[in-house]
Amino acid sequence: MSEKIHRLNCYVENRPGVLARIVGLISGRGYNIQTLTVGPTEDGTVSRMKIDILGTDKVIDQIICQLRNQVNVIEVTSRKM
Amino acid sequence: MKKNEMRTGARALVESLEKAGVDVLFGYPGGAVLDIFNCLTDAKFPFVLGRHEQGSIHMADGYARSTGKPGVCLVTSGPGATNTITGLATANIDGIPLVLITGQVSLSLIGTDAFQEADTTGITRAVSKHNFLVHSADEIPEIIAQAFYIATHGKPGPVVIDIPKNCQQALTSAQYPERVSLRAYHPESAATTTQLNKLAKLINESKRPVIYAGGGVIASGAAKDVSILAHKAEIPVATTLMGLGAFDERDPLALRLAGMHGAPAANWAINEADLLIALGVRFSDRVTGKISKYAPKAKIVHVDCDPSSIGKNVDVDLGIVADVKDVLTTVGSRIRQAKHTEWLKTIDGWKKSHPVSYMPMHKGVIMPQSVIESVDKASKGRAVVVTDVGQNQMWAAQYFRHNLPRHFLSSGGMGTMGFGIPAAIGAAFARPDHKTVAICGDGGAQMTFEEIVVAVEHKLPITFVVINNGCLGMVRQWQELFYKKNYAGSILTVKDRPKNENLEGDLKYDYLPDIVKLAEAHGAKAYRVIDPAKLDSVIAKAVKSDATTLVEVIVEPRANVYPMIPAGKPVSDMVFD
Repeated sequence: MSEKIHRLNCYVENRPGVLARIVGLISGRGYNIQTLTVGPTEDGTVSRMKIDILGTDKVIDQIICQLRNQVNVIEVTSRKM
Repeated sequence: MKKNEMRTGARALVESLEKAGVDVLFGYPGGAVLDIFNCLTDAKFPFVLGRHEQGSIHMADGYARSTGKPGVCLVTSGPGATNTITGLATANIDGIPLVLITGQVSLSLIGTDAFQEADTTGITRAVSKHNFLVHSADEIPEIIAQAFYIATHGKPGPVVIDIPKNCQQALTSAQYPERVSLRAYHPESAATTTQLNKLAKLINESKRPVIYAGGGVIASGAAKDVSILAHKAEIPVATTLMGLGAFDERDPLALRLAGMHGAPAANWAINEADLLIALGVRFSDRVTGKISKYAPKAKIVHVDCDPSSIGKNVDVDLGIVADVKDVLTTVGSRIRQAKHTEWLKTIDGWKKSHPVSYMPMHKGVIMPQSVIESVDKASKGRAVVVTDVGQNQMWAAQYFRHNLPRHFLSSGGMGTMGFGIPAAIGAAFARPDHKTVAICGDGGAQMTFEEIVVAVEHKLPITFVVINNGCLGMVRQWQELFYKKNYAGSILTVKDRPKNENLEGDLKYDYLPDIVKLAEAHGAKAYRVIDPAKLDSVIAKAVKSDATTLVEVIVEPRANVYPMIPAGKPVSDMVFD
């Protein structure tokens, strides 16, 4: 399977440590984040993270599952770029 | 306490632990948790002092594995917290519910390299299910409630709560919540009707089905349901290391342990199966070997509560994210009674031609496998067995006749040497109704030997069995088989060491330390067995004793664990004695 850039859209609780947890989950598995943007949503208690990662569909699906398992992650969607 | 009454964060913490139903707290004090310890003497639950924080967290782990309730541990900041990392990783990979409370330097000092300061939430993030850094005393009751919820819902795991000293000292009127609601964490998931129908169809149509049961079966309390399904549709059952006890091995349908050191019949059955029903497992590399040759003829169904575990290592035909017990109870009525006479006949042939067995190597020398058989006999198969890691663990897995869930406690995923002694102590606190037996090697026993004093102090009638082969047996076995017998770093006796590890001078003893004297120095009753003829009687005496006992058994030093499928190899490469 070929590697492609996937853009993950994560809605997370706006709390200290959440960014580190998500970045750690990805980098701890040896994957390099190409782009990362974090910003507020109209709901001040929720942040939105846009993460671009290079990987195979299988690996990205696994990462998405593990992100969804996180206690502070509300929703994750993805699309191939 | 009355509503709106102020008390310290430390007092609020102890109250919260009482409300969470804690019945024993393991731990070790230090500067950053003194305010909490100051409130502990009035607590409704006892405190158990370990002798090293690693010991304390493994005790909490043993408590959790033997009950399913979260084990709770309290340690100080800095080195106290870092000493628990191995214990957290051990619980995390095996899905064991723990709540660890660590002290932290005051908020104003965080980031200043203060005395005994460590970034505990940063360090524990990768080895815990979740962690919290408390910012105010007002948060403490709510966070404790959330931690217990997270530890026990979804796939269980360890949760760390780091509490700065000033938050322990500050006053708060915050109350323990009646209900926990987490905005983003809703791990409950159930099988759909379509999935259940598909599962039933696969089972009803299969000719050579195998159930492969893991730790998830035990965690969800589904052992009985597995047995009901197995008997209704006549399906043989293999278990993982974590699943031992999920199915009675004395049952004719039992295939026993699968994987690297599994029973030949279990591995061959998976290899020949047309349907593999994987329940609460994660397809560890120690079970699958070469993935592309794993269960090559089978459709694979995988039921697990963790969505990230499905399709992670093995591609499956049907993945169901749900509680194993829920799936088995709801699918039951859709399953037809069946007989698989031919299939069971084939399997029985394998069981007879290749039983899990061993041959004596030298006359008058105890075989380590016979130690396990002896303990099984003496405890009538009812003991809570806690293992260390290595050959002792594999022999315990192979030679006990496992028949009860939560009666085989072992560090499966992390393979943590030093787990056995403290985890047995935790289990003995949790299950005073059962005899606890720890099976250790001489290597692992020396890693956490200091904890034996805790068993002695609390008069726990544990039998610690140290199988002494004078070497780090599993390391030595791999060196013998795969590294041309170059025994670097694995020989603990004085003789037979490689030349750069030669010991100068005249050492009087071959086996050091003297484990019997060491146990006696800790206050335990201790026996050494060398003669095979005396093994059963000494083990029986120790298992019957109400005191903390240790039996050191000097065994054949060159015995290996067989059968063995070398790492990353297919079933066809199985090596026999």
